[in-house]
Amino acid sequence: MDLFDRLKELREKGLVEINKAKNEEMLNDVRVKLTGRKSELTEILHSMKDIDPSDRREVGQRVNKLRDLFNSKLDDAKTEIVEALVEEQLNKEKIDVTLPGREMHLGAKHPINIILDDLEKYFIGMGYEVVQGPEIETDHYCFEMMNLPKDHPARDMQETFYIDSDNLLRSQTSGDQARVLEKHDFAKGPLKMVGPGKVYRRDDDDATHSHQFMQMEGLVVDKNITMGDLKGTLELMAKHIFGQDRETRLRPSYFPFTEPSVEMDVSCFNCNGKGCSICKYTGWIEVLGAGMVHPNVIENAGIDSNVYGGFAFGVGLDRFAILKYGIDDIRDFYTNDVRFLEQFSREER
Amino acid sequence: MLVSYNWLKDFIKLDQDPNDLAEKITRTGVEVAEVKHPEDGLKKLVVGHIIDCEPISGTHLNLTHVDVGEKELYQIVCGAPNVAAGEDVVVALPGARIADNVKIKKTKLRGNESNGMICGLQEIGFPDKLVPEKYTNGIYVFPHDAEIKPGDSAFELLGMDDYIFDFDITPNRADTLSMEGSAYEVGAITDVPVKVEGVVVKEDGPNWTNDFTVDVDSQLAPKFYLRKISNVKIGDSPLWLQRRLWNAGIRPINNVVDVTNYIMLLTGQPMHSYDARAFKTHKLVVRKANKEEKLTLLNNKEVDLDPNDIVITNGEDVVMMAGVMGGLNSEIESDTTDVLLESAIFDPTLIRKAALRHANRTEASSRYEKGVNWDATTRALDMAALLLRNDASGTINEGVITGSSVKRKSTKITTTISYINKVLGTEVSSSEIAAIFARLNFKIEINGDNLIVDVPARRWDIAIPADLVEEVGRLYGYDNIKSTQPILAETHGGYSKKEETIRRIKNVVQGQGLIEAISYSLTSLEKAIGFSKEPKKPVEVQMPLNSNRSTLRQNLMTGLVDAASYNMARKQNQLAIFEQGRVYDFENNNYNEHEHLAALYSGNVYFENWQNDNEKIDFFYVKGQLTNLFSALGINLNDVEYRAEVIMYMHPTRTAGIYIKNKYVGMIGMLDRPVTQSNKAMKDSEIYGYELNLDDIIPLILNPQTTAQSAPKFPAVERDLSILVDKDVTNQAVEDIIKANGGKYLYNLRIIDVYRGSHIAEDKKSFAYRLTFLNENDTLTDEIVNKAMNSIDASLEKQLKVEIR
Repeated sequence: MDLFDRLKELREKGLVEINKAKNEEMLNDVRVKLTGRKSELTEILHSMKDIDPSDRREVGQRVNKLRDLFNSKLDDAKTEIVEALVEEQLNKEKIDVTLPGREMHLGAKHPINIILDDLEKYFIGMGYEVVQGPEIETDHYCFEMMNLPKDHPARDMQETFYIDSDNLLRSQTSGDQARVLEKHDFAKGPLKMVGPGKVYRRDDDDATHSHQFMQMEGLVVDKNITMGDLKGTLELMAKHIFGQDRETRLRPSYFPFTEPSVEMDVSCFNCNGKGCSICKYTGWIEVLGAGMVHPNVIENAGIDSNVYGGFAFGVGLDRFAILKYGIDDIRDFYTNDVRFLEQFSREER
Repeated sequence: MLVSYNWLKDFIKLDQDPNDLAEKITRTGVEVAEVKHPEDGLKKLVVGHIIDCEPISGTHLNLTHVDVGEKELYQIVCGAPNVAAGEDVVVALPGARIADNVKIKKTKLRGNESNGMICGLQEIGFPDKLVPEKYTNGIYVFPHDAEIKPGDSAFELLGMDDYIFDFDITPNRADTLSMEGSAYEVGAITDVPVKVEGVVVKEDGPNWTNDFTVDVDSQLAPKFYLRKISNVKIGDSPLWLQRRLWNAGIRPINNVVDVTNYIMLLTGQPMHSYDARAFKTHKLVVRKANKEEKLTLLNNKEVDLDPNDIVITNGEDVVMMAGVMGGLNSEIESDTTDVLLESAIFDPTLIRKAALRHANRTEASSRYEKGVNWDATTRALDMAALLLRNDASGTINEGVITGSSVKRKSTKITTTISYINKVLGTEVSSSEIAAIFARLNFKIEINGDNLIVDVPARRWDIAIPADLVEEVGRLYGYDNIKSTQPILAETHGGYSKKEETIRRIKNVVQGQGLIEAISYSLTSLEKAIGFSKEPKKPVEVQMPLNSNRSTLRQNLMTGLVDAASYNMARKQNQLAIFEQGRVYDFENNNYNEHEHLAALYSGNVYFENWQNDNEKIDFFYVKGQLTNLFSALGINLNDVEYRAEVIMYMHPTRTAGIYIKNKYVGMIGMLDRPVTQSNKAMKDSEIYGYELNLDDIIPLILNPQTTAQSAPKFPAVERDLSILVDKDVTNQAVEDIIKANGGKYLYNLRIIDVYRGSHIAEDKKSFAYRLTFLNENDTLTDEIVNKAMNSIDASLEKQLKVEIR
């Protein structure tokens, strides 16, 4: 047979064999057979010396060309096979991505603590120190130092949980004020503190009363603190908690430890001041009590009230949470129903 | 205090819209909680004169014809028992609207046309407690002497056209518990002069003072005055007076009692009227009650008097609980003719406590406890006497008996205008300040910066310069004070180190998927001391609300168990909750508070899922969470030890004490079966939890590392070790030996399998460990690792008689 015809035949057969190979193994066999050391092509090259010298160059070129063709086809076939394999594997691995994932518990902060942390961070940013006082407080700090006279109703057994004649469960965080005032060294700068914590009153629990709740006390004392400073401080805080577009108003009020005393209302966030059932048709919602520290409180701590003065405020954290989240029963905070609590996992500030 | 807008007009000229005025009062003086306009929502209520009234046979109804000021009489069917011809009544005409938004239409009753309705007071919006007793079960009948005519609007006559301000007063503003006080306040706020009438009494009866003695302990009653009014005729009060009582929230009773109430509303001075027949002894004594004494009050309540109650007696029997409520034995009755009229001031604290003790707070007692105008006592007495002559045709006997009359010095306060401005942050001029005090009717002297204020007795809340700052501030207007921020030397705010650490701990636990709970600190004595290794002396409150809230908790777990019970009763069985808070005890003669952390788990690790991955929460899951927490806090895990321990309410063989550096810091384990089995909701549940004393742990917590270490550069070598041990040998014992003999390159040790079962002897178990060796500075050779493993094997064989597998 003519060598050229043989190459032609080799080419056709070879291409058919490459096409027939179904997997990498078969393809390898074909590769060996077509281009390996013992392949016909190699054989032809080895037998070059027997070929007519005038044809040698032509044959050499054709053999090399054919080998290149085989190699390229083999590579293509290999790619095809690998791709098919990958595809098959992927098909096997296919999942229904619409099936639900395995869920674990999602942590949540208690709503009162969300409010508290938010307020604390706010005041820390303004240079306030966060102070913790005892919950088992003495009559002395809770009342006497705070200018509540002996026969003040808050000091009744009916109102406050007494433990013995001198010790009680604090009914207000104000005792922290007295403790801090006594200790503070004004030579080292002004006093700016907030004091959060649990307080207790002898109330039967119902939708609006709780024998335990949370307060936060604020106190700023220095030489030139004014009621304007109090007003500005409270307005900024109210806007921080209840929204920048809230309006506020101060009304005269009464607390034994401040004089003048005020309460602050914010414009109702439900009706924007038009009047609704939440604000009892007044357009305003009471949010906190405050005032200029009573001179007796300053003097009781051994500080000259002619030189030093300041303001104080008290926030009911339960009340803030009730208002902010639209909660209608204060007991919800303390029964710890997880269905109630877990909704606050998305409220973290 | 309910303040009538119409009544206020007796004292000051008012032309503002009542709602605007209320807002102004709220911002400047006293919070007006509500403005009520009784006729709101009602219409077409007029006076009707009943011309005739015939019973409709076979029914309880009457057929009436009523003159309502129109040409034709109205035929109205009425079912009230007290309907009668000749009476003036309230008629709701067809088309009228009465209380509860009910519309009145022409209708037919038993075949009789009825063109409207004759109304009782409740039907037009009066609360039950204000309706005069004789009209509570029927229609209202106008007094016969009332100047009215058919067709007149009922609103005006019944005071329903009034605006009623609900003054929500603070304890210091008891001066506004009277119309006169309120008028002074509103006058100051609106800058309108106030006209308060004086009184001159012309006595027209004989002198009675020689025939009667009064013995008063002036400690109990610093002021006490008595008058006698004779020949009164008991009847209804005139309509104008009833109207004022109604709008002040007081039920009209009779023309004597109403006068005392009216004068109290007018002046703030509580008054009392006694039937003189109760004083046949011709003697009145004010003293503290004796033990065993009893009194039946006007509201028919029989009380056992307390030795701290002030009482009025006739020298023999108690006739009144002073300042609180009269006795039934001295009540004004329909046949009363002679009345003793008392105007007094009693000790505020004793009155408050008496009212509280007997759960019998009254208009009078609440005024006494907050304080009353020292200067109004005799004026009130004289005004009441005059009214009794007018309304009840009484004779005012000559003379007032004074039981006590302690004088009080007037209050003069010296301050400066600059002080007031300094506190307020304002620049109010001295003339503005003078104008403000003029509005308040306070007399002042201004001398340069100095200010002297003479405070009238009706404002007994004002005693120091700061009180004057408040008066100036509120009348100047808090709205007009400029908002500023304190300009102070820089302060460095923040949490204490301890607080910061607690926050770190809470963040980790919350990140582990736990929901934060807050429980009550007060619990039962039994629960308070449970879940503790060594309960301390509990702290109990006096007068607890109930036995479930009697004692301060010494552990947080009890609150979480309560929460678990509550949730599980509501089919919430998958729980992961925690609480961070304080526990309380009494030790070393001190009350102590400690910060704790507790967590409680029940159910599965994952929520119910289609892959049926239902891994149950168990001891080791919870322990793993705790290990993660300790790691996150930088506690060296080699310092942490768990020792099987018995703790009250915890499972005796599934509970461990947690020790860090040999110090007990808390516990972990399963709730004891008796705890869960005794609770219907938790029955058959395995509930796990832990509790840590953070006060003990916080000092052990390392600060977050600030210098980073690079990851190891040399390869680690892993070896597995499988051993067979006696079944009572603990993992801890084996690990301790491995660690002690593993050499310095033993980098990590982890137990990877525990097996007990059929393939090994019954008294044995097998442990498998994975040991990781690492030399951070060089590649480890097999030789070194083999040496370490041999040493471990030998020690285990020798010390624990293990079989290396």
